[in-house]
Amino acid sequence: MLPKFDLYMPEDFVEACALKADGAKPVAGGTDVFVNMHGGKDKSARVLDIKRLKELQGQRFSESGLDLGALTTHREIEVWDEIRSRYYAMFQGCSQVGSVQIRHRATLGGNIMNGAPSADSIGPLLVHDAVVTVAGPDGEREIPLDKFYTGFKKFDIQPDELLTRLHVPLPPDNAGSAYYKYMRRNAMDLALMGVSAYVEIEDQHFTSVRIALTTSGPTPMRSYSAEQVLLGQPVSDEIIVQAAETVEREGKPRSSWRSSAEFRTRLLHDITIIVLHEAVQRALKPVALKAEAIPMRQYPGLDGLKPRPKMEDVSCSM
Amino acid sequence: MQYVEINVTVNGELYNKTVPANKTLLRFLREDLFLNGVKEGCNEGECGAFTVLVDGEPMNSCLVLAAELNGREVLTVEGLAQDGRLHPLQEAFIEAGAIQCGYCTPGMLMSAVALLNRYPHPTRAQIRKEMEGNICRCTGYTRIADAVLLAVEKMDTAEKNQSPQRNQKVLAGTKK
Ligand SMILES: Cc1cc2nc3c(=O)[nH]c(=O)nc-3n(C[C@H](O)[C@H](O)[C@H](O)COP(=O)(O)OP(=O)(O)OC[C@H]3O[C@@H](n4cnc5c(N)ncnc54)[C@H](O)[C@@H]3O)c2cc1C
Repeated sequence: MLPKFDLYMPEDFVEACALKADGAKPVAGGTDVFVNMHGGKDKSARVLDIKRLKELQGQRFSESGLDLGALTTHREIEVWDEIRSRYYAMFQGCSQVGSVQIRHRATLGGNIMNGAPSADSIGPLLVHDAVVTVAGPDGEREIPLDKFYTGFKKFDIQPDELLTRLHVPLPPDNAGSAYYKYMRRNAMDLALMGVSAYVEIEDQHFTSVRIALTTSGPTPMRSYSAEQVLLGQPVSDEIIVQAAETVEREGKPRSSWRSSAEFRTRLLHDITIIVLHEAVQRALKPVALKAEAIPMRQYPGLDGLKPRPKMEDVSCSM
Repeated sequence: MQYVEINVTVNGELYNKTVPANKTLLRFLREDLFLNGVKEGCNEGECGAFTVLVDGEPMNSCLVLAAELNGREVLTVEGLAQDGRLHPLQEAFIEAGAIQCGYCTPGMLMSAVALLNRYPHPTRAQIRKEMEGNICRCTGYTRIADAVLLAVEKMDTAEKNQSPQRNQKVLAGTKK
């Protein structure tokens, strides 16, 4: 049973902000909020359904990129052709959230504001350089997503503000991205570990790189030092392995009932190699072919038991 | 306790009801409309026994408020059979032995209806992906996938023979 609460379903944005400032709990898809309520963790006496607010609705792809209302569902991202051809990591992240039923309800705004370090859409949004818009009665502010998180389940948002929209810039034709979610089963599990990568390749050199880690700290986070390892360098297995080693040092995964920190740290290394290979290959494909899945290129060390191969043993990918 | 008035169409019939604000769609269907096909499994959206179609899309009725449903259309397993005839998916589930205890079956059927509306000729991989949110603890998934493929055959044959079965399928999940 859900606890007793009063329900507000305003259409007026300022009214919604006032209700939130006054302590009402915003609910979009409710896939986090109502689960917490069923479990007794959330006892909010007032619930603010934000689905009627037009400021949070709609989604559009244009020359300048994606304009996504905070209410955009994971399913809408999953079945959208432009997402697959231009923002493949987002397709991979959103299409692996929960199940079809969950994805029809659960929103990007809710995934961000729930603040779980394992949130599947966030790493892909971070590497695609997403900017969030938050708005309140006094107007709106734009904040790069990686600056929006200020701590575990903490955000740069005021009590009277709502997350309204996301902007994701249009990647150039020489860009490619990838997200890998490591789970113990193929569906309905949270990411035990996840890494996202975005690269732009020019003349076989990394001209732009972003890497983001999921389940590796209090919030989803960028790995800036690993990005620096690759930037400006020619593409090679050696440099990709160096980036993976840097990621392994930078990530701070914890032990939980799902896995030990040691295993997660090893996964960070191996998954970084997988997603960088995949992102590079996608970057090299013409836009028309970027929507296709790329077979996973397993790094010889992935089975975890063998010692890592020496650099000479690793063949060059290009 | 706050109450909300809703006008909601369930299995083609319009209902005008007053519901407590905190009542889930699942409880509304079971307790107010006595449609007991939908099941409360985990109440956390994990099990799939809660699956009903809202405006043609599969949703977790345990995490949806009845109060949100004003003006919307819900389809439950009770709405699949038409004129006393089972839906081809229901027939196929029986024939393929895709049911043991039956607890997951209504949810499985509703996810299968949604799947076939999206992919009328699905591959096994598509069946597995689109039905990933429905858990079965006894039959096993192979026969369930077999049943979906058998239903596709049935519907194709029915279409060739221009029997009304095909229309039935379209009716079952049309997005209005
Ligand atoms: C069975 C199941 C499986 C799941 N699997 C996954 C998974 O694989 N990967 C994953 O990442 N997540 C998963 N989740 C978690 C959840 O579905 C996602 O986090 C989802 O994106 C939350 O979106 P929502 O719209 O349902 O959020 P809600 O529950 O409506 O809200 C979540 C939080 O965000 C706040 N909020 C929502 N929208 C706004 C807004 N616009 N402005 C300000 N605050 C806002 C709410 O107040 C609340 O605190 C799963 C959940 C369930 C029940």
